[in-house]
Amino acid sequence: MIKTDVIIIGGGATGCGIARDLALRGIPHCLIEKGDYAAGATGACHGLLHSGGRYVISDPVSARECFDENMILRRIGEKCVENTGGLFVRLPGDSKIYRERFLRSCAEIGIPTEVISSSRALELVPSLNPEIEEAIRVPDCSIDPFRLCMLNMKTSELKGGLSFTRHRVIDILKSHGRCTGVKAIDTGTGEVKEIYGNIIVNATGAWADRIAQLAGGEVPLTLSKGSLVITNHRLTNMVINRLRPASDGDIIVPNEAVCLAGTTSLAVEDPDKIAILPVEVDTIIGEAGRMIPHFNHTRIIRAFSGVRPLLKSQKLDSRESSRGFQIIDHQNGMYSIVGGKLTTFRLMAEKMVDAIMNAFSLKKECETAQKPLDGQEELSGYPLSKRLADMKNIVCECELVTRQDVEKIIEQTKTRHVGDISHRTRLGMGPCQGGFCTFRALGIMHDLEILSPGQSVGSLRDFLQRRFRGIRHALWGDQLREEQFVEYIYLGILALGKRSEPH
Amino acid sequence: MSLIEYDAIVIGAGVAGLTAGTLLAEKGKKVAVVTAGEPTACLSTGCIDFCSNMDNPEEAIAALPAHHPFHLVTKTQIHEAFYDFKRRMAGAGLSYTGDTNRNRHVLSAIGTFKTTCLTPETMQASPQNEQENIHIITFAGLKDFYPGYIISRLKNASFSTYDAGISTTMGLASLFEDENFLETFLLWMEKQNIRENKIAFPAVLGLESASAVKKTIEHRLERPVFEIPTIPPSMPGRRLFNCLKDGFRRAGGVIYWDWQATGAEKSGRLIEAVITGSHGRPNSLNAKAFILAAGSFVGGGLRAGHSNIVENIFDLPVFTPGKREEWFEQDYFSVNHRIGRAGIIVDESFRPVEGPWDNLYACGAILAHVEALKNGCGHGFALATGRAAAESLLEAGR
Repeated sequence: MIKTDVIIIGGGATGCGIARDLALRGIPHCLIEKGDYAAGATGACHGLLHSGGRYVISDPVSARECFDENMILRRIGEKCVENTGGLFVRLPGDSKIYRERFLRSCAEIGIPTEVISSSRALELVPSLNPEIEEAIRVPDCSIDPFRLCMLNMKTSELKGGLSFTRHRVIDILKSHGRCTGVKAIDTGTGEVKEIYGNIIVNATGAWADRIAQLAGGEVPLTLSKGSLVITNHRLTNMVINRLRPASDGDIIVPNEAVCLAGTTSLAVEDPDKIAILPVEVDTIIGEAGRMIPHFNHTRIIRAFSGVRPLLKSQKLDSRESSRGFQIIDHQNGMYSIVGGKLTTFRLMAEKMVDAIMNAFSLKKECETAQKPLDGQEELSGYPLSKRLADMKNIVCECELVTRQDVEKIIEQTKTRHVGDISHRTRLGMGPCQGGFCTFRALGIMHDLEILSPGQSVGSLRDFLQRRFRGIRHALWGDQLREEQFVEYIYLGILALGKRSEPH
Repeated sequence: MSLIEYDAIVIGAGVAGLTAGTLLAEKGKKVAVVTAGEPTACLSTGCIDFCSNMDNPEEAIAALPAHHPFHLVTKTQIHEAFYDFKRRMAGAGLSYTGDTNRNRHVLSAIGTFKTTCLTPETMQASPQNEQENIHIITFAGLKDFYPGYIISRLKNASFSTYDAGISTTMGLASLFEDENFLETFLLWMEKQNIRENKIAFPAVLGLESASAVKKTIEHRLERPVFEIPTIPPSMPGRRLFNCLKDGFRRAGGVIYWDWQATGAEKSGRLIEAVITGSHGRPNSLNAKAFILAAGSFVGGGLRAGHSNIVENIFDLPVFTPGKREEWFEQDYFSVNHRIGRAGIIVDESFRPVEGPWDNLYACGAILAHVEALKNGCGHGFALATGRAAAESLLEAGR
């Protein structure tokens, strides 16, 4: 039996941010996540640290929060934020009235803007459509959501916080109508843990209503699926937004060696059952291609979807819904924190922990905005010279990840999932999408005796099946060619198909 | 227009192309093979799959769907392709083992069994079931081989690790060509006191002389030795390619290496030349007849666009299996992905149907409805159709 003060359910940016805030305020806590950190909407977004420009007309309060948080995060998290800057580009035919409103609202809220000519914009981003009318410069950044979660959890770990990934909450324990703990099952071993605490924070995003229901509460949400595509290289060094009301495929964000473009917005019922439609992929490519024409010819390595947990609203287009967040006190020891966005995760965590401190009648100010994220000193920031120093031991040629990097993560996390290694090293995130390095990463797990006999082939199958869900929506051109090659390796050379057993 | 006019030009240096080219050259034809570079055969296991979805390849071929292009090859042609290949390979020092009526198993690098028809000599002793007693030798730091996979599935297997200071399969293979290295390695092997009946290696026993290296190890350790195919780059695949390539050259064929065919010059119902981009300037090569053996998507013979599939050299009509969203199933392992059916439909003389060309033939993986992975129609299919296309071309010339 495990006892703590606060149980956090959900290891997205919000949950991890709450863990860090609690750690800094000295509150014992335990975080439970059913997959890996950033497995839900956190890891399935653009990785855009908003300047606030996107919401300046539809939701000025959120826009201001975004701007403030942007300034804080670039200060405290320099190793997971890239100060790219951003442009809102106006294409022929885009409304001039919107442009005026945009500039006026930014000025009112305090988001700095600079109107630049199309030729100046092309100097900054040579791949832009030369036909753009003009561009407005804003302080957008790109952010690595996986790294952001890991760094937040680092503080929790340093202060003795507990965390269990790959644990699914199956029940909320109650006594006299109050929540006293949770029952969680280790999805790997099937072992059930009981964890007791005084307060339970439900930070499960799109799954919030389900968790609330386990405790007899409810969280009214509108679920909106957003799909994105990833290119196999960086087409722009700045974030590119379309200067028009929020619509499909209007943001392109550079992130590490790739670009992400999206999104779409379609209402969904079940966050576990989301499928990408071919039309979504084509729409995103078409729209992104209007801003950066090369998008139409570039190689798309994967498409993926995330589910936005939006506060229930009457408005039809979920992009018009409030991006603000809300803390719901279920009056039984459980709080749900819903809505919001990646950019404002720290603020959400701060308000949540303020409420917890209040409930405990404790007083300690939030320090998350002042202290740099822990663990950044260990991060190299990927200098090429360092990565190429050990060519011989590189196991992921696309992202230059070495055997030592993989071994370190396996030893730290004892993981049996290739995805966990990917999130921490970028292994398998390049053009071949793990075609070669997955075989190697699982082989290294064998060498380190992490996998029990018989697990390896099952893990390989699971990984390939999951991988395929993302890449099957982007199969044409070179990516289809590469995919046929990878299929030949696994089903042909390694005989991982159905007829592989001897008679 | 080129100065030389060939009797035949083959596009593609894979198993189908080189088989067709060699046959034509041996019949006294002036033949050139044009290739963009190394074929996908170099990435393969070197095993020859005719039809691996049943125990008996002959029955498996007969049971293929009616529109499968294997039915365009006669039983005699299949037998000739089979025995001719065996004979040539044995003559070149790369013996193959197998029968036309019985498939064999080859142990894979993850401990599963691959079904195939003909195996190179270095895989002849590969176990046929999970009970066999084997000792695996691996090499410290080798990136593409992890004995743990095999140990997890074969109960009677163990392994030892030798440190050769090299982490790639190709690097190790070149070490095995060095007698001093081999001797040092053998002395180490003898000290290991291996008790198992057979000794397994990742496929690194030499670039070209693997059969000899295998025999040396067998002789010294007094038990069968076999290779386990690795993921690309694959030494057994390269050995197969080099052997076929040398055979083609010995028969008098010419290879235009690094000459990617990009288009064709046409006149009436005839193809007159292929246009190749080479060394920065376009070139063309004339011939009386052409054989398209450029492979499927991986080989580069076919290319998928957003909504269509094209063949770029002759602009032939391509059988496209439905809309893009229908090309792949949800289940990765289904092997029924429709994309496997894409390709060129040919008539009984291996001429593309609907194309107006009298002197153009197609063979190998570029053909429609092959479904290579589902049916296990690999190099064996390439051998048979390469041979049949060449014979058809000769027939037309009479």
